[in-house]
Amino acid sequence: MLVFATSDKGGTGRTVTSSNIVYRRALQGSDVCYLDFDFGAPTAGAIFGIHTVQRGTKDGGLHRYIQGAIDEPQRIDVWAESERTSLCGRPSGAGELVLLPGDEGGSEFVVDDESVDRCVDLLVQLNDSYDIVLMDLSAGRSFATELALRVTARDELRSIPTRWLVFHRWTRQHVIAAHGLALGVGGILDLGKGFGHDHDELQSAIRFVRTVVVNPSSEQLAGLRAAQITWLRQMDRDLNQLAGNLGIGRLVTLGSVPLDPVLQWREQLITDSDTMLREIANPATVESFEALAKGLTDDWITI
Amino acid sequence: MRVRPRLHLLEIWRGVATTSYNDNKWTWGGRFESNSVSDAQQLLCLMFPATEISSFGLGNPDRTEEATLEALANLGGAQKIPLLIVQVLHEYLDRYTADDGTPLFSGGSHFLSRDPDSPPTQAQLELDVVESFAASVTLMLATISFARSLQRSVKREEHLSSLRQLEERAGRRLTAAMVGLLRSFTINTFEETSRMGQALLRSVNQAGLPERRVVHDLRHELRDVIAGLRDEIQIGSGQSKGGDLDSPNLLFECGWSWGVIRDAERVPFFDLSQQRDGVASDEPYLYFTMVALDAIADLFTERTRRASLLDEDQQRLARALQIRWDLTQEYWAVLADFGPAQWPLEDIPWRATDEIESDYLSVLVAGVAMRNLVEVRADDLDLSRMGTLLSELANRGRITRRPTEDDQALQKLHDPGFQLPLVVSGEAIGPHLIWPVQDYAAVLLKRSARLATMLKDTDLYSDVLTLMNSLWDHLDLRRMKDGNTKTLWDQPSLAYSTLTRTYDQPSWQMTVRVVESLVLAAGLVANEPLRSDTLYNLTRDMISEAEHLLDQEFLIGADNAGPSMRRTIQSVNANLQRAKTILSKRPASAHALVSSVLLELDTLAAAREDSTWAR
Ligand SMILES: Nc1ncnc2c1ncn2[C@@H]1O[C@H](COP(=O)(O)OP(=O)(O)OP(=O)(O)O)[C@@H](O)[C@H]1O
Ligand SMILES: [Mg+2]
Repeated sequence: MLVFATSDKGGTGRTVTSSNIVYRRALQGSDVCYLDFDFGAPTAGAIFGIHTVQRGTKDGGLHRYIQGAIDEPQRIDVWAESERTSLCGRPSGAGELVLLPGDEGGSEFVVDDESVDRCVDLLVQLNDSYDIVLMDLSAGRSFATELALRVTARDELRSIPTRWLVFHRWTRQHVIAAHGLALGVGGILDLGKGFGHDHDELQSAIRFVRTVVVNPSSEQLAGLRAAQITWLRQMDRDLNQLAGNLGIGRLVTLGSVPLDPVLQWREQLITDSDTMLREIANPATVESFEALAKGLTDDWITI
Repeated sequence: MRVRPRLHLLEIWRGVATTSYNDNKWTWGGRFESNSVSDAQQLLCLMFPATEISSFGLGNPDRTEEATLEALANLGGAQKIPLLIVQVLHEYLDRYTADDGTPLFSGGSHFLSRDPDSPPTQAQLELDVVESFAASVTLMLATISFARSLQRSVKREEHLSSLRQLEERAGRRLTAAMVGLLRSFTINTFEETSRMGQALLRSVNQAGLPERRVVHDLRHELRDVIAGLRDEIQIGSGQSKGGDLDSPNLLFECGWSWGVIRDAERVPFFDLSQQRDGVASDEPYLYFTMVALDAIADLFTERTRRASLLDEDQQRLARALQIRWDLTQEYWAVLADFGPAQWPLEDIPWRATDEIESDYLSVLVAGVAMRNLVEVRADDLDLSRMGTLLSELANRGRITRRPTEDDQALQKLHDPGFQLPLVVSGEAIGPHLIWPVQDYAAVLLKRSARLATMLKDTDLYSDVLTLMNSLWDHLDLRRMKDGNTKTLWDQPSLAYSTLTRTYDQPSWQMTVRVVESLVLAAGLVANEPLRSDTLYNLTRDMISEAEHLLDQEFLIGADNAGPSMRRTIQSVNANLQRAKTILSKRPASAHALVSSVLLELDTLAAAREDSTWAR
């Protein structure tokens, strides 16, 4: 299955959340690979704890592959190469976890027919080897988004199940922006139609993920004053209403990730040692990643 | 108020969800085996709050609240719940539609035989009953609005077409139910000297006046009702009697019998061949009258109108029902408080013209009369008498008083409860039938909640709340305690140690009454609190004193006296503004705010006074 991770705004938590999703999915036993398609700012290396590709690779990554400069993009086995001790060595029962980094100093580029061809080749090949192939696209209506839509419209990929995750923070602006990116004019659905996608089919493949969500009734907020909680609850209700009205309500939401103190301070995978051993991250955060990882391949029913 | 409508409704929903859905199948039936009345009541436990209270809505899955989903978790997630409900509603319609499309409103297992050795015959079990018409009116209205709302969220064609079908089928059943109600309405006339006449006169003649005079006065008070019954009953049952009413010695009753009246005329607007014959005797039952009135009221609520839930034919039928609704209510209201002495209603227990008497009947008459109090002429005195009456009925029902040893009230009102003998006109078709009702306590709560919504006086209001609290405490005791049915009703033996029977199935009749009461109570809580005029005036004076004192502080430049002083003055000012804003709606809160303001200002004044003594 191919999964595209997008968001309208930068800094929504798209990279951190989707990395954690594939990580959890690998722990659940699937073979997964993560493609850092964020050509402007490839940062996934840091999140997986691969020091050498912190800001992208120098040894030929996705960016240069798509442009035809190299024949094979670099693949990094995270279990083998991560510098984080808690990630070293594949746990028994876990699947493969592979990172395809972007290039250091890469930038956005214009999509031409050859780059679409090469991308199609790569995805077909990866899809054969992995259960889940997740591509982290740049924020907004980027070239990466256009590339993804053109690639998936091609016959070679027609038979491969494809899904889109739209990440957004749980605020008014982000909700409106996410709606725009997915369903608005010039958004994914709109662009997709232009590239030959079927409207309903594409729409049924889109789900939203709410990030950095402050849950008004959580234990964590026990320190807030009653008036603040009251206000938060009212805001939460209003936001739910807004999201529902925009058509990005609960029915099309795959899950939401609570605000986590560790992620607030550092972009990283949350391992069980973070929650159980050192108790610095919240178990609820991990639960939400696990639920998202499972939900990724569930039947996405449209009622 | 100890009644927490939201919490309790969620508890009930949890109980309904776990009791009713197992192994991917909906389980029909409770204390009675599945029948058209109990099944509708079971569904109404979900559908009624879902339509009446917006935060319990299920028709828009994007907006379903988390707490609601948690309560219904046994039915599935946000997507599945509404689809499952659609499926179950279809199933209800399947069960109670005959092969030729005739809608069935049969009492089935809810009919009991008076003779334990001879069970009701098949023909009897199939008789349509007014309580089923009534439950279907409410349930079908809820279904239509639910189906419409869900159509906006649903995309898949199969679901859409199932929803359109549901709406269509519910509309048809609604029409049939309305037709049923029009064919079970009755006007029962009798001579003043007949047994019925005498019974009626005994009830209304509390002042002990000469009979002639009472008949005359009663007919005079009822003149509008008589005119209405004579001139405006033009379809369904009850038409032929209207003309007799002019005879000056004739007394009468009107309302609903227990089923379709024998030989009732068929009503246009619905397939004539699908209107089944009835056998019910042509005389009103207070119980079925109350049940019918409550259901008919749902036909002309603001919501029904605004959402145009009724089509044109249904609107015509609704108008015909409304006429009967008005007249019946007026009739019983006149009877309830007739005469210069104590109200006939206050002479508990109420005695019906068939000479059956019961506290339950008093509750029913109070319910009808109370409806009328809202419509026409409620003054505080009437409402307060009504409150006293309900408390008295709670005492007599041994809800707020301990039962005596071997207390008759327990059997007669709670378990097995009030047993209505269903009289058949013409040839008998089996043993004598009984319609059991054991919801006395819940009906009292419902009536108290309704009374509370009508009150303006804070003292009366708090009295009624006290009553509601005691009623709730009692009902809470009677919830089932074990297994899936936990949180549902009814286990009377938990409240009364002398009752020994225990049940393992919920009573949907009792549970749905509690649900209705809680929905009313939720409306009560959602309103702004009652305003006390005394408190309003007092607080207004306090605010003007506080404003004056604050102006004095400004005059001596307190707001320029450094940061600490500035903060104090700012907060005083902000609190005072807030007090003024909320004064008219919540004088007590405004009072608390302005009190703190006055205290703060007085601290400043006292400090200044202290500094003057050495001058
Ligand atoms: N659940 C969370 N709780 C707290 N902070 C979070 C959470 N998720 C992400 N963050 C933080 O939000 C910031 C943005 O995250 P991230 O880099 O993943 O966003 P992005 O959408 O990929 O941004 P860009 O558009 O720049 O690629 C990071 O500092 C990250 O640690
Ligand atoms: Mg990123």
